[in-house]
Amino acid sequence: MNPSPLSSPTGSITRRRFLATGAAAALAPVASSGAAGRAGEFGELNATAPGGIDLHLEYKSLLVGGRPGRAITINGSIPGPVIRMQEGREALIRVHNHLPESTSIHWHGILLPFTMDGVPGISFAGIDAGTIFTYRYPVRQNGTYWYHSHTGLQEQLGHYGQLILDPAGRDPVGYDVEHSVVLSDWTFEDPHRVLRKLKAIEGYYNFQRPALANLDDQMKATGKSLREVIKKRLAWDRMRMDPTDIADITGATYSYLMNGKTAEENPVFLARPGQRVRFRIVNASTMTFYDVRIPGLPMTVVQADGQDIQPVETDELRIAVAETYDVVVTQPDDRAYTLFAETMDRSGYARGTLSSRRGMEAAVPPPRRRPMLTMADMGMMLPDKEQQGASRQARPAPVRGRHPLPTTNLPDRIKHGPAGHGPASITMAETAYRRLDYPGAGLGDDGWRVLTYSQLRVLRRPYGRRAPTRQFDLHLTGNMHKYVWGFDGRKWSESDLIRFQYGERLRINMINDTMMSHPIHLHGMWMDLYAGGGLDDNPRKHTVIVQPAELLTVDITADAPGQWAFHCHLLYHMEAGMFRTVAVVRSLKGGPVEADP
Amino acid sequence: MKPIPDFRHLVLAALFALPAPPADGAEPPATAGRPSHQQSARLHGDARPPPIETPPLPEGMSLDEVLDYAATPPPAGFPDSVPDDRIYAFVLVEQFEARFPTGAGSDHLGWEAQGWIGGDFHKFWWKNEGEAILDGLDEGESETDLLYSRLLTPFWNVQAGVQYANEWNRGEYDDRWSATLALQGLAPYKFELDNSLYLSEDGHLTAAIEAEYDVRITQRLVLQPRTEVGLSAQDVPERGLGAGLTDVTLDLRLRYEIKREFAPYLGLRYRFLVGETDAIAESAGEDTEEFLLLAGLRFAF
Repeated sequence: MNPSPLSSPTGSITRRRFLATGAAAALAPVASSGAAGRAGEFGELNATAPGGIDLHLEYKSLLVGGRPGRAITINGSIPGPVIRMQEGREALIRVHNHLPESTSIHWHGILLPFTMDGVPGISFAGIDAGTIFTYRYPVRQNGTYWYHSHTGLQEQLGHYGQLILDPAGRDPVGYDVEHSVVLSDWTFEDPHRVLRKLKAIEGYYNFQRPALANLDDQMKATGKSLREVIKKRLAWDRMRMDPTDIADITGATYSYLMNGKTAEENPVFLARPGQRVRFRIVNASTMTFYDVRIPGLPMTVVQADGQDIQPVETDELRIAVAETYDVVVTQPDDRAYTLFAETMDRSGYARGTLSSRRGMEAAVPPPRRRPMLTMADMGMMLPDKEQQGASRQARPAPVRGRHPLPTTNLPDRIKHGPAGHGPASITMAETAYRRLDYPGAGLGDDGWRVLTYSQLRVLRRPYGRRAPTRQFDLHLTGNMHKYVWGFDGRKWSESDLIRFQYGERLRINMINDTMMSHPIHLHGMWMDLYAGGGLDDNPRKHTVIVQPAELLTVDITADAPGQWAFHCHLLYHMEAGMFRTVAVVRSLKGGPVEADP
Repeated sequence: MKPIPDFRHLVLAALFALPAPPADGAEPPATAGRPSHQQSARLHGDARPPPIETPPLPEGMSLDEVLDYAATPPPAGFPDSVPDDRIYAFVLVEQFEARFPTGAGSDHLGWEAQGWIGGDFHKFWWKNEGEAILDGLDEGESETDLLYSRLLTPFWNVQAGVQYANEWNRGEYDDRWSATLALQGLAPYKFELDNSLYLSEDGHLTAAIEAEYDVRITQRLVLQPRTEVGLSAQDVPERGLGAGLTDVTLDLRLRYEIKREFAPYLGLRYRFLVGETDAIAESAGEDTEEFLLLAGLRFAF
């Protein structure tokens, strides 16, 4: 990315150089869409600098992995420019829509007035073709975030970039060099065709299914006899489920990108021996969970979703779609190290190289075996142990007044009731349970450390945290056979507004009835994740992974009046209906309000 | 003055005030009876949260205006946030094949296709199958079902509509309408089933049961056994049907999925008549069983 020597202790030389390119890009007229440029050559802009910034959106033919594709570019590249903001100042961004269609930009994880949130149909009507929309809002936080289109399937076409919000005070994270790492997935297919295929043919992109040819492989991997393997497969078949259904869209169509570059193009991150490198990692994919590691180098995780956390040293972390993590590593010597981002289903990977000069590369790790779902993902065959003495009392307070709910030792499991959620939901789990210690399918058996949510602890207790006084359950539901996704068995178009009362402290117990992991994102407000800690140290997140058969609890302070999106961040799940409008209102009185009247 | 709780509150309160389960070692709580967001909102309608610091608001709007706005559906001019009720269409030609009898008889072109157009739960569904003499196609028969299809459970569609069946033999042409009721879906162990009941315009009740199963050999090579069984509730002499089981077709196709929606295949078919139907054919001096080789293409768009 940056070939110049990096000597500044704060990385400000990097920043200044970026700013120069950014300013040039802002002043330049819209680039002509003639010759194909390369994806992955992005600049940097400062949105809180005087005069603000301009973003130009246009379709452009770009070389992705050497092959021309039609991308939505922001100032000429995918990803779009890194946008910096200074905490305490006002951001000013003019978005010029040169696309032949409506568009939008959502500032992911940013606290702002709801009309600036960039969700068509909720925050505003969208940015019409040929028009300019001005975003203006005070910057009240710091950390690593990102931005992306919230219109249709535009995100799949490259409409995303990284946000870096510099703290007003001293940055608790010490580092010498910083590098942006934007992970994404790219297809040369029309995204709408992709969705149609998913709706029409189950498992369209899964080429790692159980087959006679991989019986032997499964026997070797599991150490089970042929008979046992067949028995297991028949058990899954009986339930009409596929244990290899880890990712809906796979390497069969995706090119996996790091900073817009494929693994072959090998983006380079420079650091001199002894320097501490801060990687600001954003997963800007539409559908791909990545498992990130740097073989040979431990990573110290210092931020999760833009929030400073108590540093955790680990060897690998799973980053869901829309999450961000900042990690610090020390470049120990003159050698090259591979920044390896393997997809959760092991159908591909993105990678880059950390080295002290260009032209170096390290070995790319061999692909691991694709994971399979287990009976635990169906809430079965649980070890019947109490997690740290967690109580099983979970009956919600029946009283109408507001009484504080417990904030520690929450119930470790909930038995799934007999009620199904209709044809839009295939509910398999008998029990939903806490899986905060579980790193996820395919992780944890490699002999190295893997980050889990139970390790996340905020650095400082956030302001205004208190015990919630109201709670409800939200079931994550889906019919993977017909590709219908929703909450409580309903799609967005069939749903009511989820009302939060302005000022209340609210608990949502998310229960994943499906066999897939869903990154659930709330706009406008933080979700304080119950990660086994207490009010002092539980992390706060804008996006949380809810694993199969998981019971996951978040507490929210409803401090952002207006209407907000709340959805699964897998783009095609969202488009299929796994989406809600949250309304932060004065009072919860009155009947339900339809989200799509 | 204390507001009088309305009836719904009482019911909900009763529902949620069931005895709390004993702490450890007991049955874990169950999801049934826990509040959804609507129920929770109803229970807490009178609550007044503590005041908080007002955050930055949209330009030109007061806090009250924003809170009022938030309680109403979006303005009419706004687009849908997610177009999750889109209409999709799909066509799958499962069989498009040449059928070569191993014994006497002429080669045939056979086909079986279905398609749908609609949303996730309600669809217009059509099915068409037929066979004609390969040489000239001037002798053949086909059946076309036109159905309203509703996803009743996650795996099963209930379908109702009509069937149009026709036969042609050079100059001659014969046809028949029937009312149709079908149950189509995926059974446990991943059997694809399509069961149809037909009541013809002449009042004859017949049924067809189709089942198929994909044996995945590799990621692209698939062996598909398939069976089709015909039934009739009564003798229908003009159609050569006897009451009871009428005919059984057993197919085996080995396809290679060059793409999911483009798969050439080779196959075998064994078809035989049963019971009264078999007797009728035998007395008319017709073949009562046939063994065919198949070569064709399965495709979708």
